[in-house]
Amino acid sequence: MPARRIVQVAGKDVRLLTGGDGPPLLYLHAVGADVDWLEIHDRLARHFTVHLPAHPGFAESTGIEQVDGIADVVLHYVDLLGVLGLRAVPVVGASFGGWIAAEIAALYPERVERLVLVDALGLWIDAAPIGELFGSTPPELAEMLFHDQDHPLAQMLRAMTSIADVPEDFAHAQLKALEAAAKVGWNPYMHDPKLEVRLRRVTAPTLVVWGREDRLVPLVYGERYRDRIPGAGLEVLPRCGHLPAIERPAELAEVALDFLSRT
Amino acid sequence: MFHLMPWPHLPESYAGPAWVKCPNAFYDGRRGHALYNRYLDELVRAEALGFDGVCVNEHHANAYGNMPSPNLIASILARQTERMRIAVVGNALPLYNPPLRVAEEYAMIDCISGGRLIAGMVVGGGPEYYSNGINPAEARERFSEALDLIVRCWTEPGPFVHTGKHYKLRYVNPWPTPVQKPHPPIWIPGAGSYETMDFVARRRWAYMGIPYFHKRIFKRNFDYFREACAKEGYAASPEQMGWLVPVYVAETDARARAEFEPHLWYFARKLLPGINVSPPGYTSPRSALKMLGAFGDFMLNVGSWDEIVDGAYAIVGSPATVRTQMAEMIHWLGVGNVLTLLQLGTLPADLTRRNMELFATEVLPHLRNEIGPRAAAS
Repeated sequence: MPARRIVQVAGKDVRLLTGGDGPPLLYLHAVGADVDWLEIHDRLARHFTVHLPAHPGFAESTGIEQVDGIADVVLHYVDLLGVLGLRAVPVVGASFGGWIAAEIAALYPERVERLVLVDALGLWIDAAPIGELFGSTPPELAEMLFHDQDHPLAQMLRAMTSIADVPEDFAHAQLKALEAAAKVGWNPYMHDPKLEVRLRRVTAPTLVVWGREDRLVPLVYGERYRDRIPGAGLEVLPRCGHLPAIERPAELAEVALDFLSRT
Repeated sequence: MFHLMPWPHLPESYAGPAWVKCPNAFYDGRRGHALYNRYLDELVRAEALGFDGVCVNEHHANAYGNMPSPNLIASILARQTERMRIAVVGNALPLYNPPLRVAEEYAMIDCISGGRLIAGMVVGGGPEYYSNGINPAEARERFSEALDLIVRCWTEPGPFVHTGKHYKLRYVNPWPTPVQKPHPPIWIPGAGSYETMDFVARRRWAYMGIPYFHKRIFKRNFDYFREACAKEGYAASPEQMGWLVPVYVAETDARARAEFEPHLWYFARKLLPGINVSPPGYTSPRSALKMLGAFGDFMLNVGSWDEIVDGAYAIVGSPATVRTQMAEMIHWLGVGNVLTLLQLGTLPADLTRRNMELFATEVLPHLRNEIGPRAAAS
């Protein structure tokens, strides 16, 4: 089990879960369920000391009122690395967390040792707009996020056809998470128009991992990340949607660990 | 009298939302020409019929209410009427950048009308944030800053500097300024979020309950508002609370229902779908859950005429029935402003006209006597 603590970063509480042995690794979570410690974190923790902070406004982390855009989140994580005494770390970022990870790697390349981007937000392609994260019903989200519509989380979302079906603490956590995500990514929608050209600044060896059936951020975005980050590779996971950490944790851990352990 | 200026021509076969993504291929400018002029006639006529005022409001990209700029309509009314109040309830402040535009246009309407404007200020409905790109998670902050700035425009000599979080203005010096001093009355409509009610109570302005909810939701919200005022150290006056409700009057109860019911269902089934989206951060999670919890008591989810009557979603009947029910509701809710929607959905011009006449002659005088001369039936 990971250790749970609250650390202070520039006046903000950060809920930090830390577990495992080995060199440090920073995991930046998506808008959804991987803010909690899951199988994927256990698997990474067999080889790394995994730090899983909740973004400002998520879980017990505070300070969303200090966040007005992606730059504030980037600085927040650079500050957190300082608080943890970490100079350069491997970073795994999924979805929303992948966007943050890509920004850190572009703006502060010396702080990112290796980079794994998993179905990352952050770019925009007119011909393949990112799906509607905010205005969709839970069943529509299930359709966009999951390849396996019978996955327990997909089933839960599909069953939520009215607010009466949603447990209040789950609804409260989701509303808070979406509000925090909107503070950063309402408009421009879940991307930073400057990021694509800045990706040439990334010096960390980079692996892009994508669920082939991602219908929120389609595979073409993964290809764009691979093309823009110098030397990046792309690993496509078949029979997998937007959340490999939840739908295919063993495969995601395997490709990530294989890449992270290369020297 | 409140008017939404709805679009009554959605195809029978269309089952999608009336908001945000409702295809604007359904709009037809030639029909729009006839409709705007008919609706304006209805609003202008309210003055001769003895109404205290008329209300218009702002919505975008929808079939429910075709006034993306209610100020255009209000400026026509300012010129074409002489006595009654013109309430714009309101302008969605976060959608104006800089919000000085609202201070300017409201002052124009107040000047043209000779001081008859009621200045409504709204955060804007949830769908507007999808249609306009403004960040809903900043909506409350922007609203609050814009409202302060507008009031300052009307009460403090310019030029002055405004340095806020969202708006930075080196020279604030709007011309014209309003006739009414210190400024036009401010009304804030709301759908029951705690933030809005606390805010209005703190400023001692007026809170308008947004309609189409079961009467128990209105009651709960006005009770909360009175408590919020009490916490601020004063007793809420009835004029600080407005009840907005669809009303239809005909010679008999049976006739009223027969004439009105299809138009009400067009409104509930065709124009309300999609109005209820709540974008992230638009209210606190606490308020969002409360409002979602009230959704079962929203007209969109009402299936039968009996529920409409029992919940007072609309007051429909003979003059005697409408008199009795409205008087009961006014006393029960403790409101001093009654805003009647006398045109709804597809209700055509002839029935709207008769409804307005019957309400004005058979109901309005009675309600004035019942509640006292201070209660305004707008």
